[in-house]
Amino acid sequence: MLMIKRLMTQHMPGMLTCEEVDGFLYDFHDGNLSYIERFKFKLHLSMCPECRDYLDGYKNAIRMSQTGFIKANKSTEVPEDLMQAILKSRTSK
Amino acid sequence: MKKQPLATSMKDIDNENKLIEGLINNNDLAYEALVRQYGAKMYTVAWRFFSTDDDAQECLQKAFIQVFKNIPSFKKNSNLSTWLHRITVNEALMMLRQKKRQHTSSLETFYQQYNDYGERTVFADNLGHSLSHNLSNNIEMIFEKGETKLSLNELIYQLPEKYCNVILLRDIQELSTKETAEILAISEASVKTQLHRARLLLKAILEQEDKESAEKNWTVN
Repeated sequence: MLMIKRLMTQHMPGMLTCEEVDGFLYDFHDGNLSYIERFKFKLHLSMCPECRDYLDGYKNAIRMSQTGFIKANKSTEVPEDLMQAILKSRTSK
Repeated sequence: MKKQPLATSMKDIDNENKLIEGLINNNDLAYEALVRQYGAKMYTVAWRFFSTDDDAQECLQKAFIQVFKNIPSFKKNSNLSTWLHRITVNEALMMLRQKKRQHTSSLETFYQQYNDYGERTVFADNLGHSLSHNLSNNIEMIFEKGETKLSLNELIYQLPEKYCNVILLRDIQELSTKETAEILAISEASVKTQLHRARLLLKAILEQEDKESAEKNWTVN
């Protein structure tokens, strides 16, 4: 597989290198790549297990950071005593 | 504490324009309606910045203090929800800045593997990356079991401020690039760059945590 990848990146015009894939990562994740760019990105991924792992790690980091905060985000009903304290802070200023 | 019923006449303050009118005229009922109608949304925003009740509540209180102070300057044609949201976010960012720990030695070793922009500096060969092993589900378990020194939230707080802010605004609060750029007073291009670097840095840190944990388990076994 490595041999095929090396041959393709060196001899196929428009084939992305791993470094170029890195540069496309943000826009790929946010869905901002054009059709052609996405095609090239996916073509590279299809033959590069390292980049597939790398992309998985990137997605996972985002997912985990979101999970960490959402887990803590249980109930967001404002407690009545807090509500009263807020209202009191207005009149006591 | 038992929730108190709303005053009957507050039903009259049912649309935003009337509410704003009441606020500008310093009407007590309008202020109560404001806190009751928008408090929960603002609290949710605060919650997404902080992992404790105390911090989220403090943030909400501080945000409302700013709201009360600035109501006279509120422009009637502006969107009230957007304005309240912005104030809450600004208060949260200010609180985070104040709380940010001075000692981030636990992360220094990670930064050394990356350049100032959080980009990888080592490539295995001219084609591929030097990859630490794939981020596995183990990490989630490590954090859940509390086996790491830092919780995920703390890990994000300890990132350099610019990275912490973009992650919180874009990935956690799910604001758009444009909104994030406006709040942080930077360009949209900078938001994209900083967020990408922040994600890469976070990824590397998580992978390193995973690796260390695997090595520790291997030594124990």
